[in-house]
Amino acid sequence: MECVVLAAGEGKRMRPLTAKRPKVMLPLANRPMMEHLVLATRDAGISDFIFVVGYGEREIRAHFGDGSRFGIRITYAAQRHQQGTADAVRSVRDLVTGPFLLMNGDMILNHADIADFIQRPAPCMGISTTDHPGDYGVVLVSDDRVISLEEKSPHPKSNLINAGLYLLSLDIFDLVDRVKPSARGELELTDALAGLIAERKLGTYRLPYWMDVGYPWDMLDANAILMEKNPGSIAGTVEDGVTLKGPVQVGEGSILRSGTYIEGPCIIGNNCRIGPHAYIRGSTSIGDDCHIGYCTEIKNSIIMTGTKVPHFNYIGDSVIGTHCNFGAGTKGANLRHDHANVRVCGKDTRRKKFGAIIGDNVQFGINCSINVGAVIGSNAQFAPNSFIEGCIGDNASIR
Amino acid sequence: MCGIIGYIGRRDAAPLIIEGLKKLEYRGYDSFGVATAGAGIDIAKHQGRISEKGGSAAQLKGKAGIGHTRWATHGVPSDRNAHPHTDCSGTIALVHNGIVENYASLKRELESRGHTFRSETDTEVIVHLVEEEYAKKPDLLAAVQAVIPRLEGSYAILVLAAGEDRIVAARNASPLVIGIGDGEFFAASDMTPVIEFTERAVYLEDGDTVSLSRKNVEIYSHGKPVSRPVELIDWSLEDVRKGGFAHYMLKEIYEQPLAFYNTIRSMDPAALPEEVLRASSVTVVACGSSYHAGLIFKYLLEEIAGIPARLEFASEFKYFPPPVSGLVVGISQSGETADTLAAMKYARSAGCHTLAITNVLGSSITRAADTTLFMRAGPEISVAATKSFVAQLAILMQIVNRISDRKCDEILLQAHKAVEEILLMDLGEAVRVCEKAQNIFYVGRGPFYPVSLEGALKMKEISYIHAEGYTAGELKHGPFALLSPETPVIALCMPGNTYGVMISNIKEMKARGAPVIAIGVTGDRELPDIVDLFIAVPNTPLFTQILTCLVIEQLLAYHTAVALGRDVDKPRNLAKSVTVE
Repeated sequence: MECVVLAAGEGKRMRPLTAKRPKVMLPLANRPMMEHLVLATRDAGISDFIFVVGYGEREIRAHFGDGSRFGIRITYAAQRHQQGTADAVRSVRDLVTGPFLLMNGDMILNHADIADFIQRPAPCMGISTTDHPGDYGVVLVSDDRVISLEEKSPHPKSNLINAGLYLLSLDIFDLVDRVKPSARGELELTDALAGLIAERKLGTYRLPYWMDVGYPWDMLDANAILMEKNPGSIAGTVEDGVTLKGPVQVGEGSILRSGTYIEGPCIIGNNCRIGPHAYIRGSTSIGDDCHIGYCTEIKNSIIMTGTKVPHFNYIGDSVIGTHCNFGAGTKGANLRHDHANVRVCGKDTRRKKFGAIIGDNVQFGINCSINVGAVIGSNAQFAPNSFIEGCIGDNASIR
Repeated sequence: MCGIIGYIGRRDAAPLIIEGLKKLEYRGYDSFGVATAGAGIDIAKHQGRISEKGGSAAQLKGKAGIGHTRWATHGVPSDRNAHPHTDCSGTIALVHNGIVENYASLKRELESRGHTFRSETDTEVIVHLVEEEYAKKPDLLAAVQAVIPRLEGSYAILVLAAGEDRIVAARNASPLVIGIGDGEFFAASDMTPVIEFTERAVYLEDGDTVSLSRKNVEIYSHGKPVSRPVELIDWSLEDVRKGGFAHYMLKEIYEQPLAFYNTIRSMDPAALPEEVLRASSVTVVACGSSYHAGLIFKYLLEEIAGIPARLEFASEFKYFPPPVSGLVVGISQSGETADTLAAMKYARSAGCHTLAITNVLGSSITRAADTTLFMRAGPEISVAATKSFVAQLAILMQIVNRISDRKCDEILLQAHKAVEEILLMDLGEAVRVCEKAQNIFYVGRGPFYPVSLEGALKMKEISYIHAEGYTAGELKHGPFALLSPETPVIALCMPGNTYGVMISNIKEMKARGAPVIAIGVTGDRELPDIVDLFIAVPNTPLFTQILTCLVIEQLLAYHTAVALGRDVDKPRNLAKSVTVE
């Protein structure tokens, strides 16, 4: 059986982190989000993959190649102008040879559940429950069949949602060809399924475990969960006087200098310099070539490749892109005094603790203060002592 | 200029090619056609716009195909002359962008061997040549490679043959890029139609031949296998259309060397009838930039060929009695300029032989003229004329050359090289002077007077700075009163009989405090010392000097307009062609 992974979209809700890469290539536990999903699918017994790629496709192709590194075979289908999920499915016509697995590339699944799911007869839809169904396609189910599917309803009729995982037969290609643009101008796969739903032919499968990563703050939860499974391992150098608690993974060529204190789960990539006297708290993942220096504290954050947080910094509950540089003393807040949920650009994160979302190549002068919920665009530059809050655009220069 | 595209892969080729041709329409749009290959070759081709008539062509079946959108050069726009062209048996189809210069002799040769030609195009000879090679050995790539050495000129071609599940491509001096998809491949004049499907491109070199199959792309350089780097294209569609330039105008400025060269080469000795070669007097009617081209022509014709020439604005021509005899030349890029059309009809009704110079085959002016000469500039999108002006000059200079017994053949064939050098010059200092000015004067003498007029026109139409061109001699008769330290003067001071007096004129202007930017030749010892800014062009023959000065003025106007934040390609209040009187 072939598995089609939909990975052509940018993932606009992840901006500014998607400036240089599609959402599915954002790192969780130091691997691209989609790699976790692909490996779980492989472990469920599938070895032929078709990746539908578009935005930032070169990142995906460069990372996955022909799949041999992962023990799988990958064929690519380009969907350069994303016109919706039905259009994406159309792009793999003639590439799939029989009933196939179709999945969004931006979710986390267990391999055992996938193995169970693919035993079902097609067509079948993976469903899950959530406490905010209004953000998804809400389904009503009767006798294990979908009887209605309503996209992003303000008044959801249930907490059961479409998980973005399907088992489909080749008939789907005729159905997607007949889809007309939806109200938002896209060719929606769910419109292609309407006929199947009306005839009560679309089966359901309740996914015991499902997590989608919609917004940058969702990355922190997913990062934490994926790291729980990691037992830790040390490939780099750990100097005397370093304290490691819990599972800690340190990549090749990295050095942990004396006085550094790390509370796992924590993953540190290759060729990083940590310490002396750095304090890294759980669940933090740090990419390759990073520098976490003297008297810097990092807590529950994702820090991507090449970023330097070198002296007297505090970063908590934040997602930071590649190649940023923090001036000495620059710190970020992560808790409101009224302990209310942190809002990012008006959107409730449903988190009491959340710091900032920082794009790629952002440069901070010394002693900048970053307020809770700040979003900072790529290539932004800040003069010393800047107070930073709200949404700062790409390439902004603040003095 | 024409646009071509080929596709082989898992999708239906025809609808994809039709969509692609729409994106290539900026390269030409008078007719189009598609061929797809299955067991046989299916072809649909039409005169007219793809958006109106593309529907039936999109119905062709087959997963491999080639398409073409045409800007006529040899043969009027018609269904018959539209590409693809086929061999006698109809089993080989070919599209072509470029010009086969030796097509006339090849055609005679092929006809003597019994080939039947269906079109008036230069292109059709290629497909008949391929047919002969293919008959000897049924290998399409080998057949195309065998034909290539026989072609003179420029070409990017795509070839299909019935029963061959591949496309063979070749290029020389016309653009061709290969798009690398997933189990599908593209070949096109540029990435515009391809970028929707893949960002991976291989740019071909002159002399390359390529075989595109469903599995892979094989590239050969002069017959030997070669590998070319795959480049990742970051451009948006609009960027691709502009070829990576910030504006169409800059792109078109950069296309001038090729436009000049192609136009010079396109005028074979038979192109000029006796009425032109033996004309006792010439009257030129034109508007705007074309008028300036006409004025340059007048200077050159009278000096070099010794034939009296008269020049009139087309809009004023009707207020004079028509010339009783001689040749009347109408110049119009679009071929639709209302004033020029009216003037041509007026002249023709008075019994004059009329010669039209235009960029558009089949345009109205071609019907109002006894003889038409075509610029090889390709469609010009920017409102400010650049490459069409240079192509007009190519025609006019070639006429002067022909009338004066072809003394300048070599000069005209080499001129584009000097222009290429000019394109690399940094005019930053001059731009900083101009962008601050409210008024700019352009001065020159002899044929450089109209070059000054054209420079001033470019400056005012896109930068909105008031600019006027004068003969350096006339400046003293009034305009001198306007000179001040705030009015920069662009002075064209080339070696020759105008040089000495230009030097004294420049000194007089300097004495009034005007900052002078002079364009002169490399190695000039006197000029750099007396002017504020000296721009050196290579020391070349007169024809080439006119081009190099002109291109500097275009670049100066362009960069000044950009520095001032103007909408360069669409200046306010102006339209590309003026079709009302």
